[in-house]
Amino acid sequence: MSLLAAAGPQLSPVGISTGAATLLVGVVMLLHVQFAAFQQGGAILVPLTDFLGMVRKDERQSRFAHGLLKTMAVVFAFGTALAVFAVMVLFTGLWGHFWVKLLRVMFWPLVIEAGAFVTEVAAIYTLYALWDRLAAVRPLRIGLGIVLAIDEFVQMLMINVVASYMLTPRPAFNVPLILFNPTLVPLEIHRLVGNLAFTGALIALVAGVRFLRARTPEERSHADWMGHFGLVIAIALTALQPLIGWEYLKELQLHAYASWYDMMMGGLSVAFLFQIFLLGLIFTAGIFFMWRRVHAAGIRSPILGICALLSLAAWILAAIPYTVGFTYESAVAASANAPIWQGGTIIPFGAMIPWKITALVAMTFVSITAVTVYLKQNSLGHLRWGEARRGQAMLLVTVGVSVSLIMALMGYIRENGRGPFLITGHMLINQQQNFQAPTAPGPALNGAPPSSVGTGPGPQG
Amino acid sequence: MADESTRSPLAQRLTRPVRGPMAALYRWMDSRLGLADLINKGLYEATPRRGAWAYTLGSATLVIIALQIVTGMFLLWTYVPSVTEAWDSLNFIARHDEFAAIVRGMHLWGAYILFVVVGLHMVRTFVSGSYKRPRELNWITGVILFLLVLGLGITGAMLPWDQAAYWTTVVVTNILHYIPVIGHWAREVWRGGNQVGPVTLTRSFAIHIWLLPALLIPMIVAHLYLLRRHGEFGSWVNYDPDATEEELAERMRHAEPPYPAKPTEPAYAVPADLDEFFPSQTAKDGVVSFILVLIIFIMAIAVGSPLEAPANPAILNYVPAPEWFFLPLDQLLVQFPQSWMIPVGVFIIPGLASMILMAVPFLDRSPERRPWKRPELMVPAGFAVFFLLFETMLAVNRLFNL
Amino acid sequence: MSRRRFMVLVTNLSGAGITLLIAAPIVGSVLSPIFQRRTHPWIRLGDIADVPLAQPTAYVVHFPVTQAWKVPAVPRIVYVVKLNVSGQTQLLSFSNVCTHMECDVHWDTNLNEFLCPCHGGLYSIEGINIGGPPPKPLYRYEHRLDGTILYVRDVLTEA
Ligand code: HEM
Ligand code: FES
Repeated sequence: MSLLAAAGPQLSPVGISTGAATLLVGVVMLLHVQFAAFQQGGAILVPLTDFLGMVRKDERQSRFAHGLLKTMAVVFAFGTALAVFAVMVLFTGLWGHFWVKLLRVMFWPLVIEAGAFVTEVAAIYTLYALWDRLAAVRPLRIGLGIVLAIDEFVQMLMINVVASYMLTPRPAFNVPLILFNPTLVPLEIHRLVGNLAFTGALIALVAGVRFLRARTPEERSHADWMGHFGLVIAIALTALQPLIGWEYLKELQLHAYASWYDMMMGGLSVAFLFQIFLLGLIFTAGIFFMWRRVHAAGIRSPILGICALLSLAAWILAAIPYTVGFTYESAVAASANAPIWQGGTIIPFGAMIPWKITALVAMTFVSITAVTVYLKQNSLGHLRWGEARRGQAMLLVTVGVSVSLIMALMGYIRENGRGPFLITGHMLINQQQNFQAPTAPGPALNGAPPSSVGTGPGPQG
Repeated sequence: MADESTRSPLAQRLTRPVRGPMAALYRWMDSRLGLADLINKGLYEATPRRGAWAYTLGSATLVIIALQIVTGMFLLWTYVPSVTEAWDSLNFIARHDEFAAIVRGMHLWGAYILFVVVGLHMVRTFVSGSYKRPRELNWITGVILFLLVLGLGITGAMLPWDQAAYWTTVVVTNILHYIPVIGHWAREVWRGGNQVGPVTLTRSFAIHIWLLPALLIPMIVAHLYLLRRHGEFGSWVNYDPDATEEELAERMRHAEPPYPAKPTEPAYAVPADLDEFFPSQTAKDGVVSFILVLIIFIMAIAVGSPLEAPANPAILNYVPAPEWFFLPLDQLLVQFPQSWMIPVGVFIIPGLASMILMAVPFLDRSPERRPWKRPELMVPAGFAVFFLLFETMLAVNRLFNL
Repeated sequence: MSRRRFMVLVTNLSGAGITLLIAAPIVGSVLSPIFQRRTHPWIRLGDIADVPLAQPTAYVVHFPVTQAWKVPAVPRIVYVVKLNVSGQTQLLSFSNVCTHMECDVHWDTNLNEFLCPCHGGLYSIEGINIGGPPPKPLYRYEHRLDGTILYVRDVLTEA
């Protein structure tokens, strides 16, 4: 706390409204996240597929690893450019006050982050330049891939330390608690799993598009296999997310109640409803893909059919809004928190407990079952690549687009969940823009005590 | 006496004519004990050659269990199982008896490493499908061993009678009273009363040093007997399920005992490439076990075994935390709150999990051993392992951020 | 009955008899705690005149161990709470043993609730379980007031 309380430099911000500054940072960061997530998921998939290609003497996997690495090398530059722009121009120019303070608390994680970045550049471009020559020493190439994966992991861990700290900060004098704050573990796992799923979904998306545009049987065959591969990764890993997300929200409820309230009952609950809608869409489209893909191979799988229907049912259940009004908060404000048949605006079937929980648990188990059954069909050698139909390619595209959307949406929810704070309980958004005096607290929403703003210990202090 | 040609080189050496003053004594002993035969039985054995390093995990487990038994025996030279003296006796060791402190440290770190190694052994036999016909009972005795080791771990943690031990005792014995109908009595039986007290410690002690080992040791004997009876399966890398019948028949002809292991599918009856158990496999076993024991030894000296403040039931600022290998179960206690859900978290979920684990050989009965051809097992198991790790991390996070 | 079957019967019966003779006292000794009688003497907790209103105050009380041989009395914490219920002062004496897994709960002045460190159970100032895993309210000690001196004994009642 002493670090935060120390008088920050009196920076005058660039004359631009808070709304515009927020929008700029938001758009740039959401884009950056998409690149970075792909980068991290890819860094795990490259050595993995390279390894599988080696031990199972599967040319397709090896070729895929190379293609993925080439894509990463190209995309890397864009993602980096965005990050550099955000740090050098947006953070320093528009959010200087916040950035300087954050740097003082998060100096070492950000230094490690920068170091890991250098290693990443080296690893990616070494692999890129020497890929074919390293084919002679395959274990070395895989090893380099693993170095890249670990490096990306460290980078994300460091950024997650910063991000989780902003959401659930602990007293600044307690370094272990700052680093290992309550939301670090859930955020880390949520993102690790999410990035892999996202990469899988992007692969499925590209494969779907390629399949639709394929001219030769070879193109179609490779796109079919790639779509299958990406989709299995996307669905299998997304199946973990309801549980991880639930635990993440639990930590928020305990340690950042205002944010939790905003997400569940307040203004952000609308975004959250859309999020759970997208989740249901991902599972349902993914499982329909498996069902229809197996069908295209001439196999009738009633289990996959039932899974698809159950997933659809769970999706519908999960997507029921809790209130026909805007949010629960507004329903309460309008004294309309009674079931609609009693003149209120509440739809009881939209309640989190037990309905949405039931739907989420169902989605989890149904998708695990579906992935298992689908992989079994594949392991029996029933699928021949290239025999998919256009409908399945469109399902792949649907999954890819929805996963991309859900990533952006979650970024939006997380960054806005802290409102009105930049660092929960410590620093307000409008202390950054239109900066007047460090002591003037902004409007405290959601019952956050204004007295704890700026100085003094936070809610957990 | 066994026929010379079926004797291992070692046994042959042991039975070759002995000269010198001890020759008569040796012959006298051997004709009565049958030592050479015994050694021959124990060591003359064929094992699959490929992937042999993965098959060292079982014997490493055995070595660490032996280490636990020996160090435990000598801890009893000082330790007193009494609420008034247990803590003092260990405190004495910590302050005045450096070697005993190392013994105690090795007992603790031995337990920690044991959990890791048993876990890996289990994962490896699962992935390689070693539990399939005719080795179902190898697996089932294994699962029982695993549960016994867990029981030993948790009762051992109750003995130092410091704060950690006391609260472990309180929570673990208290779980019993959520058993429907007889729960209250079950708790009293372990505690020796309605609250944790002097009798509780002596009972936990008796369970830790007599009851569970008395079950563990025969179970290990059964596990190893079954291993010898059916032969080490190894893993899919030793087999070629697409081989022709002639090739398989040829392999059978050249197989050494104990192959072929009957009854099983011909393709998986005899490994393509065999090696001698002694000394080829034992050398690898030895290296792995030695490294593990070395780690245990170093950790015992470098970190040792902690002793917290003496047990105190009236305390307002102590945060009880279970041993790390029980964190997933502790996290279930958090996730299954209030009345009827508590038994679900403490009995039904762990009970179902153990039952499913036991039933694995009967759920997966196809001859197929290659893991990528068995997604119906590997995929759910993957999720289960993730769940365990995730629960552990959540529990660490919770206790750290209290 | 043939001689052979008779011998089989004798073997089995002897085995069963041996087992029974050894097992009966063992089972009895293992189960004996269930049948033991316990005494619950009154223990002086102390003067509670100074306990402030609505501020749970922890007292350490030494209860004799009645479960076995003679060992030092066990300290336990009794929370004394004075509440103002419609003008009347109500006196409560809680055990601080969590009803979930029996960890020691403490009064958390930030939360204004009793917090259990084990799994995060929460209780209100009346001892009612209001959050986390605990299935029941905190137990109350039977107590007796002699002027301002409070006596308790470890007979616990549910609220
Ligand atoms: C806790 C004490 C245990 C000891 C001392 C032990 C010891 C051994 C040894 C020495 C082997 C042969 C070497 C090897 O394949 O690694 C073996 C094999 C085996 N163990 Fe264990 N084990 C234990 C626990 C378990 C557990 C927990 C399981 C599984 C639930 C298990 C399942 C098996 C199986 C299926 C085999 C046969 C492997 C094959 O033939 O390929 N064991 N065990
Ligand atoms: S023991 Fe108190 S919450 Fe579990």
